Amino acid sequence: MPLDTSTYGLALLRVDGRRWNELRRIHAQIRTQAAADGSSYLEMGHTKVMCVVTGPSEPGPRRGAAGGAAGGGGGAGGQSKDAEVVVNIVIAGFSSVDRKRRGRGDKRTLEMQSTLANTLAATLHTHLFPHSQINISLHVLSQDGSLLAALINAATLACVDAGIPMTDYVTACTAGSTSTYAANDEGADPLLDLNHQEEQELPGLTVATLGDSDRVVALVCESRVQISRLEGMLAVGVDGCKQVREILDQVIKAQGQKMILEGTVDKGTGLNDMDLD
Amino acid sequence: MPREAEPSLNEKQFVLQALQDSIRLDGRELEQYRPLELTFGDQYGVADVTLGKTRVLAKASAELTVPYADRPLDGIFNIATELSPMTSPAFEVNRPTETEVLISRLLEKTVRRSGALDTESLCLVAGQKCWSIRVDVHVLSHDGNLIDAACFAVVAALRHFRKPDTSMEGGVLTVYTPAEREPVPLSWLHSPFCVTWSFFGEDGDIAVLDATWMEEQVSSGSCTISLNKHGEICQIAKLGGVPVEAVSLLQCTNVALIKAKDMSSKLDRWLTEDAKRRDKGGLLAELSAENDRVPDI
Repeated sequence: MPLDTSTYGLALLRVDGRRWNELRRIHAQIRTQAAADGSSYLEMGHTKVMCVVTGPSEPGPRRGAAGGAAGGGGGAGGQSKDAEVVVNIVIAGFSSVDRKRRGRGDKRTLEMQSTLANTLAATLHTHLFPHSQINISLHVLSQDGSLLAALINAATLACVDAGIPMTDYVTACTAGSTSTYAANDEGADPLLDLNHQEEQELPGLTVATLGDSDRVVALVCESRVQISRLEGMLAVGVDGCKQVREILDQVIKAQGQKMILEGTVDKGTGLNDMDLD
Repeated sequence: MPREAEPSLNEKQFVLQALQDSIRLDGRELEQYRPLELTFGDQYGVADVTLGKTRVLAKASAELTVPYADRPLDGIFNIATELSPMTSPAFEVNRPTETEVLISRLLEKTVRRSGALDTESLCLVAGQKCWSIRVDVHVLSHDGNLIDAACFAVVAALRHFRKPDTSMEGGVLTVYTPAEREPVPLSWLHSPFCVTWSFFGEDGDIAVLDATWMEEQVSSGSCTISLNKHGEICQIAKLGGVPVEAVSLLQCTNVALIKAKDMSSKLDRWLTEDAKRRDKGGLLAELSAENDRVPDI
């Protein structure tokens, strides 16, 4: 059901009280699953996802039979000199309001799996692990917009936790634009980090960038929008990605400090200047 | 599952090095499309598109059904894609590969979700009778850039298609045969076209339009942008791959708009030519019982 966001023009506040350039609360944890090689839990507002990374390991016997489409394989096959990134997304039935049952063959999920696999394959140093496979399973516990962005962020964190060498963080967020495609008003504001209601009603895109740069790894826009709006939306999205990167970086550093203090890992030589209070 | 043979290391290097010097194997400019050809079938709604050696056939068809219970006022519109083993030994029947899933998702987002076809106009009796429009896309030959060719074929087939005319009188729905009344075109709102960029090199700084299969195999990423001639983006899909500067993506979008406008005018011209060819003796205007409602698409 369409919801009325036309009140935005009056107070410049969005339905959940944010301003145009505010992210929702991001809460992230890594090393949540003791048994996994790498794991993370991420909340962006009410979107909650969990990620478990297994590998790099020897490819299972399943290979060949249902590779590619079913697993959303990215990078090259297991026989080549690059590790294969296999992503599996499970969207819990209770994650959204309408409790829709999504089977394994759901094309939207398959597309997201393939996007994630290709995004990560471009960033992980897969050439260091020939003939192996990196399994990334993601569980969506709650959906409130920006799902793909949350999945990418969670996967990045889990890959860092698994200790897989990568170029830099891949961080993602969404950006939108006030007013619908039909209204050709130039005064439309770009918005950062859309929630479910805004995603339903306003044009928006998901953007994932590499590290601190402006380089876009993934860009997904699924709604009709004037071409002139794209620049503003992209700029806000890329800026949001940098903010997300800072937050994720803090999470990882905090975990690192904790592990050093607990004595789980030795304090490296390069960490002398790091504040461990 | 049989795999497509990868190009050899020599071939890869050759293609990449040539691209570094802005040379393509077939002598095109980096931003040049291969010759795009479209032939309509004898029936309405059959479009055969060739783009270089890539060939895609789309066929639109209509049938009367019951609308979905949750959308009683909407007709049904589906796009079915099939990549058969005829195209490449890597494709198998009844087992969608990743390519096929991505193509059908892209077509769905471009044509269906962008509201190109007015599905409300397909409804005849609310909750009881509606048209179900189906487009079958068959890839006959694969030499790269399937998406652009398939999207063009789908849009061409739907705009060429005519569904049987109907009338409602006193609660009785009559469907007329083509002999009784000239079939009517679909209520078409805008024509989106896909434009696919392929990126090459470590930094993705070489962007190429309409990549051939060879180029696709050595590319490090791609981005499909769907636009209509009014400058509305219907969909953008850069699903991973090499990181590309945000600014160059914006430039790509602007060039894509020019290409989309170009495709749009080509399609318009072919549609008028075909209409003239069918309209022998200028009788169609008299036979048609339809009022002109959408003058400009």
